Amino acid sequence: METLTIKETISGVLESTLEHNNFEMHDELTAKDVDGWDSLSHMMIITKIEEAFNIKFKLRDLNKLKNMGSLVSVIQSKI
Amino acid sequence: MVFNSIKFVVFVLPVLFLYWSFFRKNKVAQNVLLLASSVFFYAWADWRFLFLLIASIIINYYLALKIRKEVDDETKQRRFLYLGLVFNVGLLLYFKYFNFFYESFVELVNVFGITSSYTTLAILLPLGISFFTFQTLGYLIDVYNEEIDPSHNFLEFSLFVAYFPKILSGPIERASKMMPQIQERREFSYEIFVDGLRQILWGLFAKIVIAENCASIANPIFDNFEGQTGSTLILGAFFYAIQLYADFSGYSNMAIGVSKLFGIQLMRNFSTPFFSTNISDFWRKWHISLTTWMMDYVFTPLSFSLRRYQKNGLIISIIATFVLVGFWHGANWTFVFYGLLHGIYFIPLVYSGKMNSSEIVAKGKLFPSIIEFIKMLLLFVLIMLTDVFFRANSIKEAINYIVSIFSYDIFSIPQGMFSSNYMITIFLLFIFFFIEWNNREKKHDFEIKNYNIFLRWSSYIFLFLLILFFGKSSETFIYFQF
Repeated sequence: METLTIKETISGVLESTLEHNNFEMHDELTAKDVDGWDSLSHMMIITKIEEAFNIKFKLRDLNKLKNMGSLVSVIQSKI
Repeated sequence: MVFNSIKFVVFVLPVLFLYWSFFRKNKVAQNVLLLASSVFFYAWADWRFLFLLIASIIINYYLALKIRKEVDDETKQRRFLYLGLVFNVGLLLYFKYFNFFYESFVELVNVFGITSSYTTLAILLPLGISFFTFQTLGYLIDVYNEEIDPSHNFLEFSLFVAYFPKILSGPIERASKMMPQIQERREFSYEIFVDGLRQILWGLFAKIVIAENCASIANPIFDNFEGQTGSTLILGAFFYAIQLYADFSGYSNMAIGVSKLFGIQLMRNFSTPFFSTNISDFWRKWHISLTTWMMDYVFTPLSFSLRRYQKNGLIISIIATFVLVGFWHGANWTFVFYGLLHGIYFIPLVYSGKMNSSEIVAKGKLFPSIIEFIKMLLLFVLIMLTDVFFRANSIKEAINYIVSIFSYDIFSIPQGMFSSNYMITIFLLFIFFFIEWNNREKKHDFEIKNYNIFLRWSSYIFLFLLILFFGKSSETFIYFQF
């Protein structure tokens, strides 16, 4: 899948979970930059991403997520 | 040897002098001095457990290296991690919880009609064990998750575990933040040094003025709560809630301040938690080094494994995490219940989706809005009532206390309300929270480096005089027992 499509899908997940779209999608984007994306909402976002791409993360994958770029590459490695 | 004692001053001054004179040439010299001082400090507090601390350091050091060595063999890696978990958790369980489980088990057996008597073992609690085992646990898990590299330097790792400003009562440090500071030579910075002194002054004020004066009111009320009027009991709970906060945040500020004198920045442990508008906000600001630890190593794995159950999975994870937070404090059902209640308070937030909002209250403004103020007040009342479980000797006692509040005379004038002790304490609290409110956006409660020189020095002198006139000496901290 193309990086752009992946990012669009992630954007959609973020928008529906956090109920806003005040963020700009780029590789260096981190959870800290996005309002309301904290450790509690993180799990919901992760679950929705798993559903959207029909993949399963491991806990170790999660620990390696540093920013949007790494999220996209982890997803790419799974689909 | 507590920070607010003459003994500590006599200990720390020569160490500081040596550190910034003869030992400042390289990091090895600095670390050797700090480690030697830490060993002395711990031995002074309780030499019997020094060997336990050393054993813990050696075992964790080697386990981390083993975990990394087997990087290509996940089964072996996991085996070493589990070994580490068993060792560290085992230490805690044995020293802190053995008698609790034993007694609970015997009582359970008695319920089923089998009577057996029991004698508990006389196990002493090694000082700081809850703090340093959590630190080494976090270290092993981080190495396993490849978030950090294991330390290959035994001196540096020993200092990371045993560093005296934080060994007895935290903050619970992370290797990712602390190790890089130990791995380089510390340069003297006048600004950090003075900031450390400020933080120590603030911590002293919080501990020996605020906490001790609140304790002098709360203790007699809690010790004889039966027969007191509801309004008096409310005051008891009120002053205890503030005592608990001032005691531990004061301690933390002193620890962080002392560490700054040596050029090492520890993590912030409290950030004006009473200025919060919901429970999740409160826990983000209360005992931060413990809650972030629990978040990373308990809540995240748990909620990850329960993620299919969505909000219900989240709630179960939150409640389990908070029960553990409570239980961490000690082997008593009161702490378990305290944690359970706090976990339950999160449920409305999870369902309303509002648990994420974390903002500094009334940012950039002088006063909060009326709604913000009411929210803060209601949250404080909730925390204050829950703290009764933290203070009481048993759940039954805590429930009796809370029921008595609402039973009679809740609107009467509390006993001794107009005594000078009450009036002075309320005046001191006003000053305490006024300064906290003004600095709620700063890096710590007394970060006043931007004030002009006149205001700065009058603040120092003012606090110093308050400590001199209203300070009560104390050789113990609530959190030393944990």
